[in-house]
Amino acid sequence: MKTYQTVTKEHQSSAQGRHNSIVHKQASSLSLNSSHGQNSGALLPPSDSSPRKRPPYSQAMPITILNPQPSTPAPRRPRAVDIDMDVASDSDSDSEMGGAAVQGDVQMQDDESVDEDGDLDEEEADARDQILTPGTVVTSNPQWMRGHGTYVPPSTTNITSSLAGTLTRTNKLLSVRPLRARYNPEIGDLVVGRIVEVQAKRWRVDVAAAQLAILQISAINLPGGILRKRTETDELQIRSFFAEGDLLVAEVQQLHQDGAASLHTRSLKYGKLRNGVFVAVGGTGGGGGVVRSKRQLWTMETANGGGKIDVLLGVNGYIWISKHLESDVAAEAAGINRMEESVSSQIYSSQNNHIDVPTMREIARCRSVILALVENGIKVDEDTVTRGYLEAVEFGRESAEDDIYLGGERGQRLAAALSGR
Amino acid sequence: MPLDTSTYSLALLRIDGRRWNDLRRLHAQIHTQEAADGSSYLEMGHTKVMCVVTGPAEPQAGQQKRGTAGGGGAGALGGGQKDAASIVVNVVVAGFSSVDRKRRGRNDRRIQEMEITIQKALAANLHTHLFPHSTITVSLHVLSQDGSLLAALINATTLALIDAGIPMTDYITACTAGSTSSYAAGDDSADPLLDLNTQEEQELPFLTVATLGDSDKVAALVCESRVQVSRLEGMLVVGVDGCRQVRRLLDGIVRAKGSKMIKEGVVQRSDLMAVSLEE
Repeated sequence: MKTYQTVTKEHQSSAQGRHNSIVHKQASSLSLNSSHGQNSGALLPPSDSSPRKRPPYSQAMPITILNPQPSTPAPRRPRAVDIDMDVASDSDSDSEMGGAAVQGDVQMQDDESVDEDGDLDEEEADARDQILTPGTVVTSNPQWMRGHGTYVPPSTTNITSSLAGTLTRTNKLLSVRPLRARYNPEIGDLVVGRIVEVQAKRWRVDVAAAQLAILQISAINLPGGILRKRTETDELQIRSFFAEGDLLVAEVQQLHQDGAASLHTRSLKYGKLRNGVFVAVGGTGGGGGVVRSKRQLWTMETANGGGKIDVLLGVNGYIWISKHLESDVAAEAAGINRMEESVSSQIYSSQNNHIDVPTMREIARCRSVILALVENGIKVDEDTVTRGYLEAVEFGRESAEDDIYLGGERGQRLAAALSGR
Repeated sequence: MPLDTSTYSLALLRIDGRRWNDLRRLHAQIHTQEAADGSSYLEMGHTKVMCVVTGPAEPQAGQQKRGTAGGGGAGALGGGQKDAASIVVNVVVAGFSSVDRKRRGRNDRRIQEMEITIQKALAANLHTHLFPHSTITVSLHVLSQDGSLLAALINATTLALIDAGIPMTDYITACTAGSTSSYAAGDDSADPLLDLNTQEEQELPFLTVATLGDSDKVAALVCESRVQVSRLEGMLVVGVDGCRQVRRLLDGIVRAKGSKMIKEGVVQRSDLMAVSLEE
């Protein structure tokens, strides 16, 4: 802006040789009252310099310029954020312009390099450890196309990041993968959800996405056979299938224009969940979380006579750990013709089977493992959970009472054991 | 206790020992709450605020009602909009946050105004059109007040929204600037001050300015005190420059967090470097 430039010009002319003080941050840990008393009582200039005279300048100037400072630098206290350094290293350019650096539009590339220089830990770090932050120009070359997490500011061709994250390229498409974000449904995802609302012909399901997902009554297996048509009676007793608060596993069947998902449970693998415990971990991206993989659902043999348990990792970060039921296998073996018999009203039962105490303990241990993984920033998949579980069993043997707690220090030990390989 | 600003012109040091263009210590953390979609904690000197972002998520039944019926409710732009996410801002000021233990209800006008200011600034910056039929809820908690409260709230919100992975045009960073001259003095040469604390705010005319990224675009500008128009330019220049400094600090915090996550292997590395795309 023109006005700003004139202001800074005036500075430049009258601030010859002025040592810059723009970014000296004095920690304000001095108590306000004491420092005030000191100043008003003594009215003395700081001991490190001779009394200051105000420099002559034109009356029009709105900003006072300080006298040159003695060369002794202001004592710099240890800083909480080490990136303060990059501001300090940037101060040279500020002082050249004198005073407020209003016209120095620091370019992004410079900014990054400054960042690396200033950050002591980062000095030798690979430049690829850097991330993009909102407002960073990815490229100005028009040959690339913008994908998710980017935008093009009006009247430019600069592809600019709108997220904090890493860059991905698919042919000519550039997109930014966020460090963390909420779950974004995609067709075919296996999700665990909770019924929030029951409507006339459909349920609305919380799947941790931006909007509630929809489960039509026509998209579920009705008791009495997969091929049965739904009737008005089914609609009237819709709550007998799923009621508010029920948990279910489903697949994303379709995405709507506005990003909302439609689910279906038309497979014996899907349906109401019981005999287990629910765990919610963060959505996509960092801080741990469920990653899309080949197998989201597997059966684990547990230690200490716990029998088999099923672990179901919903892509949306909702997890279900339950006792394994052998009857499911029998039904699958029976094939589609005898499905009518197995698809009884039992699959919509909300009554838990009997679970003995050792199984409950192992389910709880598995839950602790998953929470410890998330807390220590390890992704959650079949490999990490099974390995983590084995470690946790070892941990449990250390104490007489077989402690299944894996928070805090124990969790860190578990994470170290897993990532140390 | 009235502040004796006349001492400033002698020593050119403010009561807490800063010069006219010094920011206070800015300390911030990102991703402080495990369970939240996005969260942050920010200190500007002794002003301490916490922010939690929920969403974009299905709007709750109660929220919509409050937004429309609540008069000053910060969901003013929400409610009706269907093709974009609505933004709801809640500010809670803790009773122990300031020197006088004043109870501030939900309908405190000052707080409502801050909520609306933040909400309007965000509405222009966030890419809400990507999340139709949903709500982004920003909950701010003020733990300690020592001036520049609105600026601290805006900065904390920006960090929490980045943590939540909500697309935005650029950082919104805010800062306050004041003027040391009194009207009677007619002293045109008086210094503008950057980043005021409570004592200075009580004594001096000041404004809060929020800018978009490294540009000069002003996202929010609030001035509640009488100030001579000739002082305004200087205050604004200093304030905008302060915003740029704050942006650099916040950006450093986000980058530090990002490279830490990459080193831990939580996040995949970039496929390629941005520099290599220019050819």
